[in-house]
Amino acid sequence: MRGQPPDPYRAVGRRQLLTRWGPAALAASALAVAGTLLGGREGRHRAPDDRALPSPRDWRVAGEGRGRLVVAGGPDPAANVRRALSAFGGIERFVSRGEKVVLKPNCAWDRTPEQAANTDPQLVAELARLCLAAGAARVVVADSTCHDPYRCFERSGIAPAARAAGARVEHQSAGGVVRLDLGGTVLGPWDVLAAIAEADRVINVPIVKHHGLARVTVGMKNWMGAVTGPRSAMHQRLPQATAELAAALRPTLTVVDATRILVSGGPTGGALSSVRALDQVAVSTDPVAADAWGASLLSQQPDALSHLGIAERLGLGTTDWRSILETA
Amino acid sequence: MTPMAASSTRRFGFAWRHARMVSQALWLAAFLVLFGGLAASLLRGELASVLVALDPLTAAGTLLADCTVPRWTWLGLAVLAITAFLGRVFCGWICPLGTLQQLVSWLAGPTRRKAVEANRYRPWFAAKYVVAAVLLVWAALGANHVGWLDPLPLLHRAFAAAVRPLWIGVPSPGGWVSFALLGAILLASAWMPRCFCRAVCPAGALMGVVARLAPVRIHRAAESCNDCKLCLFACQGADEPLGRHRVAECHVCLNCLDACGQQSLFYGPLPPAAPLASPPLDVGRRQIVTTTVAALAAAPVLRVAGSGLAARAHDVIRPPGALVEEAFLARCVTCGACMAACPTGVLRSDLGRSGVEGLFSPVMDMRRGWCEPSCVRCMEVCPTGALRVVDPRAKQAIGGPAEIRVGTAFLDHGRCLPWAMGTACIVCEEMCPTSPKAVWLETVEHRARDGTTVVLQRPYVDPVLCTGCGLCENRCPTGQQAAIRVSSVGESRDPRNRLLHRQPAAAKGAVSPPS
Repeated sequence: MRGQPPDPYRAVGRRQLLTRWGPAALAASALAVAGTLLGGREGRHRAPDDRALPSPRDWRVAGEGRGRLVVAGGPDPAANVRRALSAFGGIERFVSRGEKVVLKPNCAWDRTPEQAANTDPQLVAELARLCLAAGAARVVVADSTCHDPYRCFERSGIAPAARAAGARVEHQSAGGVVRLDLGGTVLGPWDVLAAIAEADRVINVPIVKHHGLARVTVGMKNWMGAVTGPRSAMHQRLPQATAELAAALRPTLTVVDATRILVSGGPTGGALSSVRALDQVAVSTDPVAADAWGASLLSQQPDALSHLGIAERLGLGTTDWRSILETA
Repeated sequence: MTPMAASSTRRFGFAWRHARMVSQALWLAAFLVLFGGLAASLLRGELASVLVALDPLTAAGTLLADCTVPRWTWLGLAVLAITAFLGRVFCGWICPLGTLQQLVSWLAGPTRRKAVEANRYRPWFAAKYVVAAVLLVWAALGANHVGWLDPLPLLHRAFAAAVRPLWIGVPSPGGWVSFALLGAILLASAWMPRCFCRAVCPAGALMGVVARLAPVRIHRAAESCNDCKLCLFACQGADEPLGRHRVAECHVCLNCLDACGQQSLFYGPLPPAAPLASPPLDVGRRQIVTTTVAALAAAPVLRVAGSGLAARAHDVIRPPGALVEEAFLARCVTCGACMAACPTGVLRSDLGRSGVEGLFSPVMDMRRGWCEPSCVRCMEVCPTGALRVVDPRAKQAIGGPAEIRVGTAFLDHGRCLPWAMGTACIVCEEMCPTSPKAVWLETVEHRARDGTTVVLQRPYVDPVLCTGCGLCENRCPTGQQAAIRVSSVGESRDPRNRLLHRQPAAAKGAVSPPS
């Protein structure tokens, strides 16, 4: 064999075998391994998994006992809320140093304060100041609005007042959502504003308004603005959904704004002829009593409002607001 | 660094093209800042619309189509006047679409960008004159389509219809066409520098015709020129400064001045002895006549077979403040400024609803957004006044009917939960922002399938009060298709498109919009 050139079609050496066939064989094996490992696997995309979601936190202060409802009247909403709170021993009773506090006003509409579709900005700002003075780490004013959130917060006066008081503003376009299990028979898994889901204390600050289906909207229905997503589907069983929202979201306090109330054309209002100035603020640790008191301002009896009855049966409070009423 | 650039830097200490690049960077930054400020609701509309109004074709199209120079569009005429003295400085120093193309060329590399072959003149570059002629003939007939290819509206629209929806998270069906058009223009410039400017841009063509008058232009001292052809390497306009310089094609980028090793090229007033002449455009008189005749013939066909003005569709709902459709189409240059300004994303760039005539024009899509009661941003921003500015109170129907209405909401009883399924729902009524509410409820006792009686509230629409704002349609819980939908009928801008025999007068105290 010596001296003869190797047959180019036969003489495949070990080195040649490795360098010429090796890379292709490696690629083929890698594909085979990938195919075997991934074969038959469930794909990357699937419907959202709503099992084992956390529930919202309970923001009530422990050991409060029986609910109280304190109403204060006067021309200055800030003074009203201060007086009503002092009957409880001040906001310090409810807000401790270092806590993250959320104020949940009704700020759903592109309306000015005079139109009484949103909570009075002075009331929100005063609560923010009181919480910060009590040592709150931060105060966030949060709502998921129906109109453009930026316009709602600016034109309602709530964002400028809250910022001046040292609070932050978050809404569905600024600040995320967290999916929580709201429980109940009609709610279940739902997206909740992250600021609210992560708060240590939440104070519900609704306004008293007429509503076409619920007849009145006060505090419990105000939780509609704590969630995002397909909330217009709640209206198919609105009384049950409202009561279940109230059962899932248990506020530290409910501060009802009746500085101005909307007596018709709610919850949007618009015409000033639908607005009545009552110059009252109620502070309550009983969200059902707070709503019942608000309903009374619109001459609605609690038995006629089925969401209040359901809430009472769920043990969220009493509709007999007169039995616990105090004035400050 | 190329030898030409090195030598020029040594000789002058600064290169002309650097001054031009600084100008381009500033104008591109201005575009991005104005668009961003508009889209993020940080800027007032008037300010943001100025840049679109700088475009001479926007002004020319509106002037021909509606015989008016509305709002800031006089700026475009001013640019055209400047062009008559200085040439197409707008193209080389201002136009952000040109700048973006140059950035893409720069990415594509010097072999594509700086080559005699890439930057030589081709006869098919004259296509842009045909494009401009067709668009201007149509505009003169009242069909203003300059915005399809007008560089500033085109660029602004691509950002408004395809980029901003990404960041506000509202889908914008149809916006992809504008984005694809911009993408194609930019990709083409990787193949040939400023391909769109050279061959298609109708604004450039208009300015090119006027630039032939310019006494200030690139010219050459023939005695010192040694015909080295260095000036041909980086010519942006492919206008051949070495030979018979094509003034109509020149973007005044001044690359040739920097490239010339003999200092034989000048940009300035022509010497008194030099004739004010340039080679004829590559479109003959016959071609222009043929183009004009073809455009004249096509216009009525587009109108009758293009399903636009002649066959208006119920879902062509124009933004509030829109002029009557004829005037609206004559003025709208489809720049998308209104879309960028809209806080809710209800406006989108039309693709089909309003036919060929309304291609890219803004329509309201209530499933994507709604008309915010206190908002007039789309009107403030419109550079051509296709949307006039009204007092926000004129579109709110607080205390009585509104003066400005975009349409009327209609209930679909086959989908409406209380009407079709015996299920409670009042969301449309709850959301209705007029006062009294245009959507009202009738309480009825409904006999359910199992024989029980259910008390239901069924919605009705009061067409006198409805402004067509679409919040009801936006929030209706019946899936992708709402059970209450806004139609254009009843829109206040057109008395022919009315629903009621007589629309009652607007409420007392409602503010008269400025004319």
